[in-house]
Amino acid sequence: MSSTAPAPRVTSPKTSGEPLVAVEGLTKYFPITKGIVLQKEVARVHAVEDVTFSVFPGETLGLVGESGCGKSTTARLLLKLLPATRGRIFFEGEDITGHSRRQMRPLRREMQMIFQDPYASLNPRQTVGQIIGAPFRIHKTEGEVKKRVQELMDRVGLNPEHYNRYAHEFSGGQRQRIGVARALALRPKLIVCDEPVSALDVSIQAQILNLLEDLQDEFKLTYIFISHDLGVVRHIADRIAVMYLGRVVEIARADELYEDPKHPYTSALLSAVPKGHGKGSVANRIVLEGDVPSPIDPPSGCPFHPRCPKARQVGGPEDGLPQNCVHEMPPLGDVAPNHVAACWYPLKKDESLQRAAHA
Amino acid sequence: METLLEVKDLHVHFPTPDGVVKAVDGLSFSVRRRETFGIVGESGSGKSVTNLTALGLIDRKAARVSGEVLFKGRDLLSLSKEELRRVRGKELAMIFQDPFACLHPFYRVGDQIVEAILCHDNVSKRQAEQRAIDLLGAVGIPRPQDRFRDYPHQYSGGMRQRAMIAMALSHNPDLLIADEPTTALDVTVQAQILELIDRIKNEFNVGVILITHDLGVVADVAQSVMVMYAGRAVELGTRDEVFENPQHPYTWGLLESIPHIDQKGSRLIPIEGSPPSLIHVPPGCSFHPRCPHRFEPCDKEVPALVDRGSGHLDACHLSVEDKERIWNEREARRTKAVS
Repeated sequence: MSSTAPAPRVTSPKTSGEPLVAVEGLTKYFPITKGIVLQKEVARVHAVEDVTFSVFPGETLGLVGESGCGKSTTARLLLKLLPATRGRIFFEGEDITGHSRRQMRPLRREMQMIFQDPYASLNPRQTVGQIIGAPFRIHKTEGEVKKRVQELMDRVGLNPEHYNRYAHEFSGGQRQRIGVARALALRPKLIVCDEPVSALDVSIQAQILNLLEDLQDEFKLTYIFISHDLGVVRHIADRIAVMYLGRVVEIARADELYEDPKHPYTSALLSAVPKGHGKGSVANRIVLEGDVPSPIDPPSGCPFHPRCPKARQVGGPEDGLPQNCVHEMPPLGDVAPNHVAACWYPLKKDESLQRAAHA
Repeated sequence: METLLEVKDLHVHFPTPDGVVKAVDGLSFSVRRRETFGIVGESGSGKSVTNLTALGLIDRKAARVSGEVLFKGRDLLSLSKEELRRVRGKELAMIFQDPFACLHPFYRVGDQIVEAILCHDNVSKRQAEQRAIDLLGAVGIPRPQDRFRDYPHQYSGGMRQRAMIAMALSHNPDLLIADEPTTALDVTVQAQILELIDRIKNEFNVGVILITHDLGVVADVAQSVMVMYAGRAVELGTRDEVFENPQHPYTWGLLESIPHIDQKGSRLIPIEGSPPSLIHVPPGCSFHPRCPHRFEPCDKEVPALVDRGSGHLDACHLSVEDKERIWNEREARRTKAVS
């Protein structure tokens, strides 16, 4: 069942060699059906479309984008929590796309997940000991569970004496620590963090981010870090993939992406973030017109073209837009060393985008 | 500019079987016309309760309220329900966090705005409809004549929030209270809505109270900022003063614990511990158990909110010299960590 993983296209300085996880042409459609007995597919949600990237051991790949852009679906496909419509998934060079549940089971120890909502992701009827100890019981590991759970609790900053407490007795930040301990229990190689700090207050958010960084160093973890908060992602990620309407539009090293974004969407997204130091940030902001289109009926060509300020600047025969933007999907191509973007007209460094005219 | 709202020594306490929840505990501030007044704080700091009280939306049987909320000189807390109803929605309007929950799913968006107009104004249905369409256009809904007849589910999140803003503006209010208006929205849409609020502030000549937990949002659009912690104001001043010359250790902690988008992260400096329960608020300064600079009087005396000159107030026992020294030290440590 083994075949070669796709060649890495963007590497990070921290890592070299074989990717830990790689996805190639990953696609997921959710059918929209009509009828009760005889269900007929009438449309499909293009949740994830032709996504290719690799993650190297020890690094953090940030996955950013707005709600509904397919970040979480991508993560779930990659962990095989959802079957993919098309595409291949590699874990440590092995093609796991066609793996059955049974074949996946030993691999599950290697890949874990931390969820967004620390209130919904912990069973209210179980004690902390049961929650964190569950992975040991499921995978029938040897040794005394209680002792190992208490070591884990201590490591993530929980008081081991609280072993018999229930989740509701903890604050939001502490609950997220429980979620981290559970993910860490089997010493996985990969942890997918799906918006792990979004539900937390800022002062607590920093505590959890620091904890995740410490654990990464200590246990040589690889993270896929999903977030809509670009500040948080810049802080924690080595490389970042930006998604829009189910597609990856740009991948680069974190610093490079923030300093020299090539895709107009990345640029607009970065400029939309309130900077937190007042002066001048509003003036330089590119405010995109309109909303993200529906993934049921995504625009032709580049999915971003109806809102793209750059396409409007370039101009062309199709309602003032260039023809290739409207009709052809730009491939994810090299725009700089270790920097790929899917755009026909990538931005130059420090190129300023004019505000989009009202559509 | 004229002062629109003046809150004086407001207390809102909720007696519960477990003890008294001191949601707001001695709060004073004022808001002027054409000003965006930002209130920041973490969950449970009393931001929302303050404004719900001002609007008379707190059940007075369940809460013990004292103090004054003067709106254009009248004390809102002493008005009868009937009198309050005439002010609310007309002179004083509110935008809520979740635009999905605030529009009735069974009624057309336009009809809901018309209902709001007819509530206070004696105009014909046709006139009200025209005004609703004009308002939808003014808040940037494309093709307002058609969109007027749509149901809420046909609107996106950003458009629903625009519709809510149109409804709030339908009587040309003097004061607009926006409670986390962009928290449920994506960043690109958030930018649109913040810009809209900034624009209507001048076009409709209103004062805006912007409640948020996001310091970045406040820094971008507010002229004055109040930082709240456990039901009290810990710092109050102009935007530039609070962000460039912060005076309270809690504000320092907040500013330092946020990862910034325009600089590469060094290690974040979190505030240790978690916010206190409002039933057992720590004695003295409520921040002292989490404050790295606490000293003698902090756990005994509640620090008063003192003006340090130029209208910049803070509630901390540290002397001005100590604060300057500590802030410079923290700043040095931070820049060292970055390089």
